[in-house]
Amino acid sequence: MPLALLLLIGSTTAGGTVPGTHVKAQMIFVPSILAFGVIVAAYVNLGAKLATLRHDGVLKRIRTTPLPAGAYLSGVFGSTAATTLAITACTAVIGWLAFGAVPRVGGLAEIAGGLILGVVCFGSLGLALSSVARSAESASPIANASYLPVAIMSGIFDPTFSVPGWLSAAVGLLPVRALAQILQQGYTPVEHAPLSDLLVLLCWAVAGCALAAWRFRWH
Amino acid sequence: MTEPTSDLAIEVCGLRMSYGGRQVLRGVDFDVRSGEVFCLLGPNGAGKTTTVEILEGFRPRTGGSVRVLGLDPADQQGSLRERIGIVLQECGFPRQARVGELVNIWRAYYPAPRPLDELLAVVELTSERDSQVRRLSGGQRRRLDFALALAGDPDLVFLDEPTTGFDPESRRRCWAAIENLRSLGKTILLTTHYLDEAERLADRVAILQDGRVQTVGSVRQVARQAGVPTTISFTAPHALRRGSVAMPGCLHVEVSGELAVCRTPNAAVALRELLAWAAANDLGDLDDLAVETPTLEDAYLRLVSGGTR
Repeated sequence: MPLALLLLIGSTTAGGTVPGTHVKAQMIFVPSILAFGVIVAAYVNLGAKLATLRHDGVLKRIRTTPLPAGAYLSGVFGSTAATTLAITACTAVIGWLAFGAVPRVGGLAEIAGGLILGVVCFGSLGLALSSVARSAESASPIANASYLPVAIMSGIFDPTFSVPGWLSAAVGLLPVRALAQILQQGYTPVEHAPLSDLLVLLCWAVAGCALAAWRFRWH
Repeated sequence: MTEPTSDLAIEVCGLRMSYGGRQVLRGVDFDVRSGEVFCLLGPNGAGKTTTVEILEGFRPRTGGSVRVLGLDPADQQGSLRERIGIVLQECGFPRQARVGELVNIWRAYYPAPRPLDELLAVVELTSERDSQVRRLSGGQRRRLDFALALAGDPDLVFLDEPTTGFDPESRRRCWAAIENLRSLGKTILLTTHYLDEAERLADRVAILQDGRVQTVGSVRQVARQAGVPTTISFTAPHALRRGSVAMPGCLHVEVSGELAVCRTPNAAVALRELLAWAAANDLGDLDDLAVETPTLEDAYLRLVSGGTR
């Protein structure tokens, strides 16, 4: 899905500039789609996967083996992280080949840091989500309903999307725009404070872990 | 302690458990010997599930002492899990797995797993090795449950209501798998609602009621302790029905229609009396003479509903 979106958005806006600036559009939308990929793979997929494992009673069965809970969950988390990185790598390569979006040399650290923190943050939120969802069937809709509006308001699909100032401030406290901006920073210098974005991601990562640990159920 | 500890797979002594202020277990005592099939029976709410969960290490206890394979399940969970196999009542499988793959994944969780071929043979799933788990029938899935529980070559296997909801054919195959487990020398703790299942599989049973063990012993011992009489029945001779012959005074015989039924605690004595009486009164052989020893079901119903309080 991130790849389809990349091509769709890219084909309509590539070559232009972000209105009011000299920044090329692809330098913004490619990293935005990278962020989107992280959210879909880590938050939506992990949340739905764990909810399904719980619903099917697989977690309950794992608990009867000597495998420590931490080892099992780390394994699930690790496979999610690998999927996420594969998706973002594909997105980045296509963004480069099709639209010529290349990260700044000095921005690679930001991209790497943003991806790692993003996977941890959205992955732990996915864990929390799977515990909050009543059933396997409701996990996906809840995930989509929770991140899509935020993604739209955060300008993931259209950086010029405008919302009232108070809403923009509220969205700024959520992890979606924070991750997108960190990754954008890796492609082109934009006007914002990257430290505050990192802080937002970090806080959500901690909150996600805490909620996941508090609400985690085996069955 | 008269027996050496190594002969006992499970020792439970004075086990107590309360939820909030409600006492669920009020001092449960029983032992399970190594290599036997031990069955825990009791009405719903008697504390079976709680007891088993404490033994498996899923639940901390309020009081009393518990040893499972010499370990305390409350604080040696890790080492215990390596040596026990648990078949839970309702437990799913990963959606895309194949039988052989799944068993192999499970084998990887244990330090000294049993070979795959052997596991599949024990549960009679050798020909399903490459089948998708979701294509298995209910009975086959249950046998796959067994295979997963056996993956680590455990000394002790917990089976929680293994055949609930099965058709007779699936039950038989499931029982066969349990007999196979027994012949491997595994100790088995079984809980079930089916008394015929307990009677067929268990070496010893314990009946749990109101948070205590009411009775424990072999099926025969339990039946004897419950005081269930042996039933002797025969077709009542005409002379008896007409009233021209009286029954021997020392036997309690009820005649209803054609059937005469004698209930006695001592079948041998009663039979001797009965045959002597028939011969003395020239009644010939008693037709359809049958001796029915008490079943576990009779004993259970007498102990559980026939009313202690």
